[in-house]
Amino acid sequence: MDIFKETYLKLEKTLELRYKKNRDPWGLDPARAVKDFKILYPFYKYYFDVKFHGKEQIEDKAYMVVSNHTGQIPIDAMLIWTAFAAELEHPIILRPLVERFLTSLPFLGRWSSEGGAVLGDRTNCLNLLKRGESILIFPEGVKGIAKESKDHYKLQRFTKGFLRMALAARGEILPIAVVGAEEFYPFVFHLRKIANFLKLPALPLSLNLFPLPSPVDIYIGTPYSLPSELSSEALDEELEPHLIALEREVNRLIQEGLAKKRTIKDRLN
Amino acid sequence: MSIKNILIIGIQGALAKITAELLIKTHPNIHILGVDSRGIENFSNHPQITFQQMKYNRTNFEKLFREHHFDSVLHLGRLGHSPAMGNIHKRIDINLVGTNTILELAQKFSTKKVVILSTHHVYGALADNPMFLKEDAPLRASFKHAELRDVVEMDQMCTNWMWKNQNQIETVVLRPANIIGPQIKNAITQYLKTPYAPIPIDYNPMFQFIHEFDMATIIVKAFDSLKTGIYNVCSDDIVSLHEAAEIIDVKKIKVPIIAVEQLARFLTPVWKFPLYLIDYIKYPSTLDNSELKKNIGPDVFRFTAKEALELLKLN
Repeated sequence: MDIFKETYLKLEKTLELRYKKNRDPWGLDPARAVKDFKILYPFYKYYFDVKFHGKEQIEDKAYMVVSNHTGQIPIDAMLIWTAFAAELEHPIILRPLVERFLTSLPFLGRWSSEGGAVLGDRTNCLNLLKRGESILIFPEGVKGIAKESKDHYKLQRFTKGFLRMALAARGEILPIAVVGAEEFYPFVFHLRKIANFLKLPALPLSLNLFPLPSPVDIYIGTPYSLPSELSSEALDEELEPHLIALEREVNRLIQEGLAKKRTIKDRLN
Repeated sequence: MSIKNILIIGIQGALAKITAELLIKTHPNIHILGVDSRGIENFSNHPQITFQQMKYNRTNFEKLFREHHFDSVLHLGRLGHSPAMGNIHKRIDINLVGTNTILELAQKFSTKKVVILSTHHVYGALADNPMFLKEDAPLRASFKHAELRDVVEMDQMCTNWMWKNQNQIETVVLRPANIIGPQIKNAITQYLKTPYAPIPIDYNPMFQFIHEFDMATIIVKAFDSLKTGIYNVCSDDIVSLHEAAEIIDVKKIKVPIIAVEQLARFLTPVWKFPLYLIDYIKYPSTLDNSELKKNIGPDVFRFTAKEALELLKLN
């Protein structure tokens, strides 16, 4: 679409500058990423009507982006990826860290890695950060995608692994929150037994196959730097205050978002 | 160290031949004894190299070590896993019993350096493999494929032996990524060069390729400057399976992996594609080369992966 030409060109330039038209070791295919972006961006703009709040706090550098998770299917991850690629003056190519089961799936595994997703493993995470890549993490883990309706914005405890990685690579953490993604697929029931049988991390059941056009708001928090004297091998107790601070920041953003939350109904009116 | 008298096991292999020629070029006073259980062909006569076809057994190897007192041994005699490479008993006999005999004799006859060629296949190709596996990553190849057990066991046997005897013998275990080249006839080279071979449309793992000449250079450098240890061997660049197939420019049939598996089983008599290799064209098994670069410098590789593939295409 011609109206998005400038956005597409900006992304192409950024990808070319960073990857020089080559695939990176984790399989990101710049040409494929642009193609996917061109499909996704009109949906981002008009179907999900995404609003990106606080982007002025984002500098042109690598971040470890930490977000809450509300949708059952990680469409929220795709929207965050699109926001960072489209809405910033200097686009940031986020590398979402994904569950192991996704990389093993035919077609989906290939498609996600060609679009920039990487297996959520400590070695990968550390190597990405050392190469100056920005990564996207959902530190709530699998619990984040299998939330029941009443718990959608109840933040699960963050796992500590990402903090250790940030300490090892001396990366800056950028807390963000997504509000609105839970309405894509209204949660009906969690098929835990079937998920266990199929060796899936979670299998929440919903009635619709295509996501509903729920408006989404992405809120950017204050970048969080970990103290330089803290080692990546620090005791759990030493990490706990930082974990709590990050959880609080994401929670604050969620509450801010919920206070101004737009719904499908608002859009229809 | 300066090599004077070296035993090369598996001299009939293409890599062994290239390495032997490179050793002669770089070490003018060297004498090479090349042995193989296969008939030895296509090798130019050179005064510094002697060939011997022999059965790989203790008696024959003992006779060799007793008569020649080698200062170095290069073990390239591991049997691969294509269906053409014989049954599991033969492989265990050569890969495990044979290697054990060679190591024992090297120690008994005071050999100074042993270089063993293992493979990156020992790490296995699994969906949860991170990129850039380090030398201390677990060897998981036989988790899914029992036929790879001897490859893993051989590697582990060599590394255990290496640490146990590190004060007496310098031992280097090399775990190279996919070696390709016009003379190499390993399974991945054959696969890439085979027209209309099925390629998975639903997977596209990343691959590291080493040109055969670069691999031979690394082996020579292993004798000259690598200290006792395990080293992953690969260059920095990395390409996807589909990119590699495009560079080779041989027509491939794109089908889902499930069809590749069925075709490989069904066509086994005519298409020598080892079943375990299906995992390697499905999931990544890529190596971290920092240990190698730290010890022999960053500029050892003459060909990038893409150049190595281009050369294979020309051939």
